[in-house]
Amino acid sequence: MEGLIFLIPAMPLAGFFINLFFGRFLPKRVVGWLATALVGVSFVIALTEYFHLLSLTSAARALAPNLFTWFAVGHLSIHFGAYLDPLSSVMILFVTGVATLIHAYSIGYMDHDPRFRTFFVYLNLFVFSMLVLVLANNFVVAFLGWEGVGACSYWLISFWFDRDSAASAGKKAFIINRIGDFGYMLGMFLLFEVAKSLNYTSVFGNIASSAAHGGHPFISGPQATAIALLLFVGAAGKSAQIPLFVWLVDAMEGPTPVSALIHAATMVTAGVYLMARVAPIIHLSSNAGTVIAIVGAATAFVAATAATAQNDIKKVLAYSTVSQLGYMFLGIGSGAYVAAIFLMITHAFYKALLFLGAGSVIHSLGDEQDIKKMGALYKLMPITGFTFIIAWLSIAGLPPFSGFFSKGDVLLAAYSKSPILWAVGAITAILTAYYMGREVYLVFFGSPRYREALTNHDGHGAHSEPHESPKVMTVPLIILAIASILAGVMNLGISSSTDFLTNWLMPVFGKAQANLTFGGGTKVILEVGDIVFALLGIFIATRAWSKTASNPSLEVGFLKKGWQIDHLFDSVFARGSSGLAIELNEIVDNEVIDGAVNGSGRLIGALGGSLRGIQSGYVRSYALIISFGVVLILGFVITRAGL
Amino acid sequence: MAPYLPIVIMLGLGMLFAAGSFIGSGLLAPKKPTNAKSAPYECGIVPQREPVARFPVRFYLIAMIFIIFDIEIIFLYPFAVVFHQLGSFGLSEMVVFAVVVFVSFVYLISNGALDWGPVKRYGIQEPYPQRTTTSTIRRVASGEEAA
Amino acid sequence: MNSILGLISTGPKIVFPSISYKAIGPEIILIVGALVIMLISSLAPSLKRTKAIGAMAFAVTAIALIDSIVLWSNFVSHGASRAIASSIVLDGFAIFLMITISSAALLSVLAGEAYLSRSRIGRVEYHCLLLLSSAGAILLASAGDLIVVFLGLEILSIALYVMAAFEKRNQLSGEAGLKYFILGGFSSAIFLYGIALTYGATGTTNIQKIASFLATNTVTSNGVLLAGIALLIVGLGFKVAAVPFHLWTPDVYQGAPAAASGYMAAVAKAAGFAGLLRILITAFPTQRLDWQPIIWGLAALTLVVGAILAIVQSDIKRMLAYSSINHAGFVLLGVAAGTAGGVSGSLYYLIAYTFMVIGTFAIVNVFEDSDTGVVPIERLRGLARTNPALALFMAVLLVAQAGAPLTTGLLAKFSVIAATVKAHSYILAVIAMLSAVIATFFYLRVVAVMYSKVPQDKVSESPIDDEEVLVFASGGDGDLGSFDRPEGDLAVLAPAKVAVARSLRISTEAKIVVGISILFTVGFGIFPNPLVHMADLAKLLF
Repeated sequence: MEGLIFLIPAMPLAGFFINLFFGRFLPKRVVGWLATALVGVSFVIALTEYFHLLSLTSAARALAPNLFTWFAVGHLSIHFGAYLDPLSSVMILFVTGVATLIHAYSIGYMDHDPRFRTFFVYLNLFVFSMLVLVLANNFVVAFLGWEGVGACSYWLISFWFDRDSAASAGKKAFIINRIGDFGYMLGMFLLFEVAKSLNYTSVFGNIASSAAHGGHPFISGPQATAIALLLFVGAAGKSAQIPLFVWLVDAMEGPTPVSALIHAATMVTAGVYLMARVAPIIHLSSNAGTVIAIVGAATAFVAATAATAQNDIKKVLAYSTVSQLGYMFLGIGSGAYVAAIFLMITHAFYKALLFLGAGSVIHSLGDEQDIKKMGALYKLMPITGFTFIIAWLSIAGLPPFSGFFSKGDVLLAAYSKSPILWAVGAITAILTAYYMGREVYLVFFGSPRYREALTNHDGHGAHSEPHESPKVMTVPLIILAIASILAGVMNLGISSSTDFLTNWLMPVFGKAQANLTFGGGTKVILEVGDIVFALLGIFIATRAWSKTASNPSLEVGFLKKGWQIDHLFDSVFARGSSGLAIELNEIVDNEVIDGAVNGSGRLIGALGGSLRGIQSGYVRSYALIISFGVVLILGFVITRAGL
Repeated sequence: MAPYLPIVIMLGLGMLFAAGSFIGSGLLAPKKPTNAKSAPYECGIVPQREPVARFPVRFYLIAMIFIIFDIEIIFLYPFAVVFHQLGSFGLSEMVVFAVVVFVSFVYLISNGALDWGPVKRYGIQEPYPQRTTTSTIRRVASGEEAA
Repeated sequence: MNSILGLISTGPKIVFPSISYKAIGPEIILIVGALVIMLISSLAPSLKRTKAIGAMAFAVTAIALIDSIVLWSNFVSHGASRAIASSIVLDGFAIFLMITISSAALLSVLAGEAYLSRSRIGRVEYHCLLLLSSAGAILLASAGDLIVVFLGLEILSIALYVMAAFEKRNQLSGEAGLKYFILGGFSSAIFLYGIALTYGATGTTNIQKIASFLATNTVTSNGVLLAGIALLIVGLGFKVAAVPFHLWTPDVYQGAPAAASGYMAAVAKAAGFAGLLRILITAFPTQRLDWQPIIWGLAALTLVVGAILAIVQSDIKRMLAYSSINHAGFVLLGVAAGTAGGVSGSLYYLIAYTFMVIGTFAIVNVFEDSDTGVVPIERLRGLARTNPALALFMAVLLVAQAGAPLTTGLLAKFSVIAATVKAHSYILAVIAMLSAVIATFFYLRVVAVMYSKVPQDKVSESPIDDEEVLVFASGGDGDLGSFDRPEGDLAVLAPAKVAVARSLRISTEAKIVVGISILFTVGFGIFPNPLVHMADLAKLLF
């Protein structure tokens, strides 16, 4: 059974290679279905592995088969091996499950694209990388997957690279992710320095055994804080948390299935997974959890407010994703790891559903994305509309939809951490119900405003009228809708015997999981509160948007621009450093190369302290700089010399 | 001081030789200047300052080849002085050194370093480089400039 | 007179050190090889322009490489040894670098053939200079005495000066050679002065003896010693292109033919770092607190300046020059750590870099303009379409330089940064990481250019922007080149635009070089164990 684990990532990898090398000889349909089928097979294997784990006792539910030793340097030996425990089994199930549906959906969605085959090559590579990330048994191999999903994300965001915005969005995502990566790497180095190993089994085993024996903890509190927070920087980059969330909104330039698969359901949750994975380390630290919770709550709130003012159907969803990821980190920071994972799974279903629904709308309107130019589509696209509404009610947190249970768990944990965090989460919940309501009303109800859009996009002249999408697109919608409704069953929170997910994951988190105890009615009051917030948000949305499509007082410009954080980044970092680069370019390149080549040297006036002197092309100024360096070093040496 | 005596003597000899050469040639050379002979050219404007002397590049080449042998000699003299103490090891090392210098000399001759007169080329004669625009035109984009 | 002669001949009896020719085997092979090639070409001038010369040079480097490997296996079974009055050290460190350098020479001979077959300039000279300079580099790597270090350094450098100026019809190249020569002379003088001061302070030039002197004696007024160390660092810092002693690098790499640039980048760095590590870690471990901050500062500056200036370059060779400065910064991390881990990290980095950079320059060579030697990045636009294999290889080599996983680049960066973290220089590690981020950007920029489309309307036109056609002969005002300058002949403008749309001719040699580089980079990226093990064995200096 253990060896089979390796087949899970091997399937999409095989798909990647087959389509890469032979794709051009195969008909389009075959390429698409092959890619889909292989991911589907991965899902089936993941299921069998899940049942295998289920058959073991809860203590034995951690398989760590090894494929081969990658390298060994000193104490550091890195194995290419898998680590299958309840947490990673949940992850692979939902990654392969959602990915299968989205692959199938893409066959319809990308049908007209000339680079159809390339798209599936990237998608398969992405799924492979994601599975490596999730299944790795150490931080280094996980980092490989981590970088892999980053690279695929870059390619897929820039998939339509002939659009400037798509190309630059890809770059932005890549660069911001690199900032996060460097946090991950530093965290990893530090962990290795402290724990002398990067293997999950040995690191977490040592932590557990030292905790069991008492005495010195394996990793001291401050060390744990540093490691956890550095890794959190990595997680924040990948999962789009403040202040690194700006890329995710731009990432919507990619094809819609990509937005659904990567930027809503799977890749962005990698950060949450990482944090859940290092739960024992966070637990050792006294403050890391608080920081994570605060960042999470702030992100949830900021992104939710920004979502209320967007006009692009996908950007609303993008901000919504950021906001939901904030909730997950709020859960992590509050010690409610199970709740965070629970929210991650349910979110994957309903957010994928929302994106695919949005894609279906965009597809039928000839690539129109402005919700102000839609309206009254419900009658024309009943399946899309109905499933979209289910997703809305789910994300809003109305019972009996899954969002109610998962978000409720997070808010409960936040309340026990601090009522302030809970309050922020609750306000965000109202906002969530509101902005999704706004989108639903503007897209599916009200007055039809799409005529203009259709005539404008004359490239799709065939679309005389919006129409329902083909079966290959609607079937995944229906499946995801059913999942969104039923996923709550995993963790109803009524009695511990029905909390399947909690029981399943508890061995992984152990003591790190916060133990919530509420006196008497508090829990009931909080849960009723959740319902009230959701209804409140829906009510406001109905009042404000069911009749009209224009309500400027509710669409603040500041929020529309995502709190100007993008602008801030631009002026502080991007412009600052590119300014420096341009400056250096002018001085060094233009003047020097030209000047030097012409040999004439009509360049550059004064030498001296200014940068102009550097790289002037003159040997004498080079020698001067060298001498300057020598003097500087000698000067330093003199201060050290005991003359 | 005693060990440095030979060096001092060498120094003196060197200076004597240099000075002697100048003085000797000054004394021995016939000197019968006339106005016409002192003028730089037989006709034209009388230059205000010394014209720049022009040498063929080959002079420098010869000078450098000379230096190679000069250095060989610098090594050969002390070697000769302690020849017996060095024994066969010294001899073989010196032969190696001489061979190295000789090989480079062969290379120089083969490349025509000592040929005067019109340049002889060995091996395959290559024509002038093709007249391409990159070698003749300053800028591609703005053609007017080149004209 | 009699007394004078007597005085000369009755000197002290001369005691010879026993000379182990085996210990300097690779050097002897390379030098004798160079001489033989010179001799054969002189005696049989018809051979001069044939591939036979290249084949001989290849054979010589191959033998040197094999000899280095034999020395390595000797080392593994018998341990390190000294030879020739302790002026030559044969430890793992030296032999590891011998292997690195002779592999670099081997690849560069091939890359050089690819270049020479389209250039008009002498084969013999290129190969001989290459062989001699690698002999110098190897001597430097195995030096156990500061004087031998200097000897190796000079043998290496003087040949490199000429190689930089090799493309003699190209002004850039001549300028590069002259600059390199003058500044190199300057730095050699500084280095020599450093040796003198060190000798003054410790009474010996032998690296081992310096260390034992400093270990057993306390230098009360250590100003002279510290100044000596500082000057030694400067002299070698110049060779490895550490900021602020890097200024020659961009000009030289751009001016020299790409094949020679790749060789210089690989070998001059390997040799320079050999000297730096050997001197600082073997001779001056007691002075660590004094030199570490200097290296720290150099590393930080080098990392940052190299990365930032690389971004703004429009010429690939110049961009690679700045990237090589950035790489030097990474290797300096290992030096700054000053630990065994740092040494093995640096060694691993050097061998990984050697293969990456020679492969990269071998590809750049294909695109080189045979008259001006420039390679604007734009010239690679759309390469993925016209020659997908070449584009893929270039991309792999570039992302490897950026430190991508599954290439040697990742572990190279990882090992030096890990050593830095281990030495508790967290700030330096952060700087290194940031510069790696910046570096990723400029490598990917080239990849992006290769994989983007050529705009249709530009195909027929010149892909060379007008500002990038560097004026070949500014001698428009002088008499240089006037013989082939047509006056106002506008008709010749048209062929210019056609000429650049030339098809790529890639010689077999270039293919082999790129193939080996890729195999090495990716092969040891996926299975790094043997190489890591080797670098690990080599980390202990004798």
